[in-house]
Amino acid sequence: MVNSVNSQQLYKLQGGIKLPHHKNDSLQNGLSRLPIADKVYMSLRINRGNIAKPLVKVGDWVLKGQIIAKPDTIKGSYIHASTSGEITAIQQRATASPEADISYVIEITSDGKEKWVNLAQTKINQSYIDSVTPEDIINSIHEAGLVGLGGAGFPTHLKYNSQNNSINTLIVNGAECEPYITCDEQLMLDFPDDLINGILLMMKASGASQAIFALEDQVGNIKSNIDKRVKDRNIQNISVVKVPTIYPAGGEKQLIKVLTGLEVPSGGLPLNLGIIVQNVGTIKALSDYIAEGRPLVERIVTIAGDCIGMAQNFVTAIGTPMSHLLQHADFDKDKTHRLIIGGPMMGYSMPDCSIGIDKTTNCILALSEKITQHYGDTLPCIRCGECVNVCPAGLLPQQLHWYIKGENLEKAREHHLYDCIECGACAWVCPSQIKLVDYYRYAKSELKYLDYKREKSDKAQIRHEQREARLERLKTERAAKRKRTRRRTSNPDKIKQDLNATMERIQKAKAEKIAQQKTKKQETDNNAE
Amino acid sequence: MQNKVFNTESAPHIPNKNSVAKVMLTVWLALVPAMFAHVLFFGTGIIIQLTLSILFALFFEAISLKLLGKPIKLFLKDYSAFVTGLLFALCISPVAPWWISFIGMFFAIVVAKHLFGGLGQNIFNPAMLGFAVVLISFPQAMSIWLPPHSISPYAMSFVENLHAIFLGQFPTAIEFDTLTQATPLDLIKTGISQDKMMSEITTGVVFGDFGGLGWEWVANMYFIGGVFLIYKKIITWRVPTAVILTTIAFSLPFYLFDADNFIGPLQHLFSGGLMLGAFFIATDPTSGCSSHKGQLIFGAGVAIMTLLIREFGNFPDGVAFGVLIMNMSAPLIDRLTIPKAFGQENK
Repeated sequence: MVNSVNSQQLYKLQGGIKLPHHKNDSLQNGLSRLPIADKVYMSLRINRGNIAKPLVKVGDWVLKGQIIAKPDTIKGSYIHASTSGEITAIQQRATASPEADISYVIEITSDGKEKWVNLAQTKINQSYIDSVTPEDIINSIHEAGLVGLGGAGFPTHLKYNSQNNSINTLIVNGAECEPYITCDEQLMLDFPDDLINGILLMMKASGASQAIFALEDQVGNIKSNIDKRVKDRNIQNISVVKVPTIYPAGGEKQLIKVLTGLEVPSGGLPLNLGIIVQNVGTIKALSDYIAEGRPLVERIVTIAGDCIGMAQNFVTAIGTPMSHLLQHADFDKDKTHRLIIGGPMMGYSMPDCSIGIDKTTNCILALSEKITQHYGDTLPCIRCGECVNVCPAGLLPQQLHWYIKGENLEKAREHHLYDCIECGACAWVCPSQIKLVDYYRYAKSELKYLDYKREKSDKAQIRHEQREARLERLKTERAAKRKRTRRRTSNPDKIKQDLNATMERIQKAKAEKIAQQKTKKQETDNNAE
Repeated sequence: MQNKVFNTESAPHIPNKNSVAKVMLTVWLALVPAMFAHVLFFGTGIIIQLTLSILFALFFEAISLKLLGKPIKLFLKDYSAFVTGLLFALCISPVAPWWISFIGMFFAIVVAKHLFGGLGQNIFNPAMLGFAVVLISFPQAMSIWLPPHSISPYAMSFVENLHAIFLGQFPTAIEFDTLTQATPLDLIKTGISQDKMMSEITTGVVFGDFGGLGWEWVANMYFIGGVFLIYKKIITWRVPTAVILTTIAFSLPFYLFDADNFIGPLQHLFSGGLMLGAFFIATDPTSGCSSHKGQLIFGAGVAIMTLLIREFGNFPDGVAFGVLIMNMSAPLIDRLTIPKAFGQENK
């Protein structure tokens, strides 16, 4: 459990690397609103490969903010139209996800009017926060279609449970540790009041008694700005803490460690420690929904990289094709070698720029070959151990690589493969230029498949054994029966006895019958007379 | 704006500026001071040996790669064979015959490295395996060593060194006696076998302040080079520290118990190949341990094996054997020292 909120003591993160910053370019050009694109492509892909069910059909007209798809289960989130216009297609299309996965996408052709559904507005002040119940806020989180905007996209409402009162700390994650990305920093600069409202709402929803607002120590005057507002509003339990700019200190588990010294148990959740971590973007989105009724239909996206002339942050409608964003940022397409969604360390490269952005798309990076090209050729691992020194999860990356290369996946599991957070720090320091994270991803998916197969074969084995047992039982039963008959038939005396007894019984029965008939006949004779 | 297809390689998208060649060349750089000290105390022979070993190493590397059908240019560029040759040359006598490095490099590069799978796959430290082979096979050729310049009646010129190495001809001014058993550890070994007191032996001219004369300075340079490698993050402090502290901790009780029959901690550290071993040999990551705890155990094991061989074994020095024995144990040590991952319970 996290105890004191005011302790400014920070804890050391094991491993980690210092990366070039590259954040000033997009920050100096500030935030602007991107005009709506002609068409938006809203992916129906929600958490863990599930697909939301469309509530509209081709030809329908929708308003901005209208629910156009809903999840099948409680474990998904709603999808709202990000512009007003006509549904012109519902089809399979590449989405802004790792490997540019193909999924169902609703295409809305905008009418350019941006006409909203009716928006319910509420003034968020202390009396509202005092009166609202956690259930109401959790419902709002669900209705607004909130997911973790830091990149993971975990449906936010699943983190909250009004029955659960073990949460005592809300950690506000404003530590964007990847280079280039500044959407969170921009948001903290431009919307401090909304953020504070959002934090108060999230605290109320979770039952947390304190909030720790974590920032990287390289950001400018955000801390003083927020400190001042918190003080002006006389809020006691929000403290702003600067954490060292070390990659990946902004990772959920790493941030918790730095702030509290606690480690989220292997395979567990921050919830196990009484902590909820929430990205600043998600918090702002909640405040937007409650204050103005606007569900999650837009987000801030950073456009950066050396192929972008005007690096900046855009308030962008979800589903906007990347090409539209890039057009507004002086994009040099010919020079671009890789187009990346996310940061340079963990982001995924996209094959082309027609893909619509998703709720989790925090950054679009266009990098030239000069930046992305390998420094040298890929050589075999020399086990230098530099990866061990930088691994924030305390693993032995070179051993994992060794075992995975030898297809000894169980050994990799023994070496805690599943505690790997795929931050890429190991690959970044590797003198042999090995794409280590690829190996870990491969091994994880392969193990998952093998486990699935094993589970299936275990079940088949059990079924087989049960069948064998059943057959065996029938066999013994039959044998016992046969044995009984055989025992009866194998003793001649007994057969004779049995036979005699039967004959006797038959004769007796016959005699009785004859006697009966006799009496019957006599009776009828008597009657006739 | 449509239709250009971009490269879709996976993250990280900003590659680092590190390479195996850089690592290897930094090791070379760290050895430069020791090479200078070597030349200063033992003459120019080492330069010839270095050249020979490196050439043979590259020769065998190229041949092995060719026979195994691996890209030759790619692997020659990684400088790993170069460093193997370098380390081997620093272990042998500056006046050892030329074929010593030929045979040593054959076993180092072909047997220890490529037969085990090449770069990064070797179980044994190639330089040490090559060295151990020639040490066992050619004891006489390996025991010829020049005394340091300052006490030598005659300093060999470069040409005389060439003569000695390629033709086995030494200048007449040098008596053969001064050439054999001239290393301090050799003298101690023979001295002790002749029931001499340690204090008696170490008053000999080849002994310096705390190690062998000249040897101690070369060892100092290895130390400086090693600290440079730690600073450059090529190696970590763990293995060298474990070797040095274990050497002290393990030799001190014997020395205090019987200073006349056992070598003192300082003598241990500054004679023979211990410093070289601690910073440049035992730290070889490929044949060493990967877990941090394992590295400490590995270093301690090297020191203990070396000391046991020096004190009780047949060979004057035992660093090479100590390293090779620990190389064999490394996979097992690694298995037993898998570190706790983030979020896991302390065992």
